[in-house]
Amino acid sequence: MDPPLVNDSSFSAANPSSYTLSEIWPFPVNDAVRSGLRLAVDSGRVFTRSELVEHSGNKDVVSTAEESTVTDLTAGWGRRKTRDLNSEDDSSKMVSSSSSGNELKESGDKKRKICGSESGNGDGSMRPEGETSSGGGSKANEQKNKPEPQKDYIHVRARRGQATDRHSLAERARREKISEKMTALQDIIPGCNKIIGKALVLDEIINYIQSLQRQVEFLSMKLEVVNSSASTGPSIGVYPSGDLGSLPIDVHRTIYEQQEANETRVSQPDWLHMQVDGNFNRTT
Amino acid sequence: MASSDKTTNTDIPKKDVFALHFLQSLSNLKAQNPLDSPDKANVCVKKIKLAAYVSMARSAGGTSRLWSRALLRRAAKGNNKIPRRKKKVTWHRKRRSNRRAPVVEEAAERLRNLVPGGGAMETSKLMEETAHYIKCLSMQVKVMQCIVNGLSTK
Repeated sequence: MDPPLVNDSSFSAANPSSYTLSEIWPFPVNDAVRSGLRLAVDSGRVFTRSELVEHSGNKDVVSTAEESTVTDLTAGWGRRKTRDLNSEDDSSKMVSSSSSGNELKESGDKKRKICGSESGNGDGSMRPEGETSSGGGSKANEQKNKPEPQKDYIHVRARRGQATDRHSLAERARREKISEKMTALQDIIPGCNKIIGKALVLDEIINYIQSLQRQVEFLSMKLEVVNSSASTGPSIGVYPSGDLGSLPIDVHRTIYEQQEANETRVSQPDWLHMQVDGNFNRTT
Repeated sequence: MASSDKTTNTDIPKKDVFALHFLQSLSNLKAQNPLDSPDKANVCVKKIKLAAYVSMARSAGGTSRLWSRALLRRAAKGNNKIPRRKKKVTWHRKRRSNRRAPVVEEAAERLRNLVPGGGAMETSKLMEETAHYIKCLSMQVKVMQCIVNGLSTK
């Protein structure tokens, strides 16, 4: 029982500088508890006591660095493991048992890393509703579960079961892609930003496309009228059929000038008007 | 078409290219039937519309986009309904088995009928193509309005 006590004192002494060392211990110790190592069990008891004290002191530090606690923990385990190895090699009595314990720790750490990464993926690919709930839940759970990390593990496992379902993952990714494209679409269509709800947005998109297509039809009708009536006029009929270079420059320029002038004029009320106009003309 | 300045891939549709293509095809139409009788007005409107769409597809990158490719293929075939129907039905059935997100899928079905070549597209791809198609359509409408205004004021 000496090495744990020594470690405990060293931890309390080293606490202000390396506060994270106390966070290491609950996880491997709990693995050891599962595997049934008695020494580790005793040390675990000692540490759970010391932990409670240290966590109360640590909480403010942890909460300042809260944002990606999962990744920090997973990233930190590798380093801390080596430190633990060194410290336990110094205490020569525990070498054999602690080495077996370290193997267990490694396996346990690997497991947790996988869990952490998968839960991270699940969070990233979740749709907004799930994201808010799971994100808030994970943060709250991490802060809440630090004194008793076993619950955190169970919780992560439950989420992992959801996230690793391939179909739901694929479905989630697909839905996210669709919604992303839909927001891009929404930015294109004027006055579509204020509409909430996918169905309404899609309705608006469809209406817009239909109105544009109707407008094209109406304009082609107009062009036909102009074209046929202006057959005597010099404008289009004069063009030689295949040659671009011999386009009359003045017509070209006037068209583009009007185009530039009209660009500011063409806005949403205009196309609505045009749409109504086209309908009217078509029905008559 | 004699013009070889096809822009292969344009995110922003080119007004100039479209206008040139369209005017050219209009003059082609004019050259084909210089004295069109009024009973052919419907046919002529259809031809002009087809010319507008084809020149839009050409100016929007030719075959680099799915919708423009479908438009050009449909225009080349002349008959525009039957092949598209078949394709749409296949995708339709495939997607109908998907019971998730019924709202989006149902609206996407209607969108597939509007966007050329949309029957064979997956939903996210459909959205992407729809965005480009809308951009091109609005550009086309603007240019056509300008042409109409320019011609009618003369």
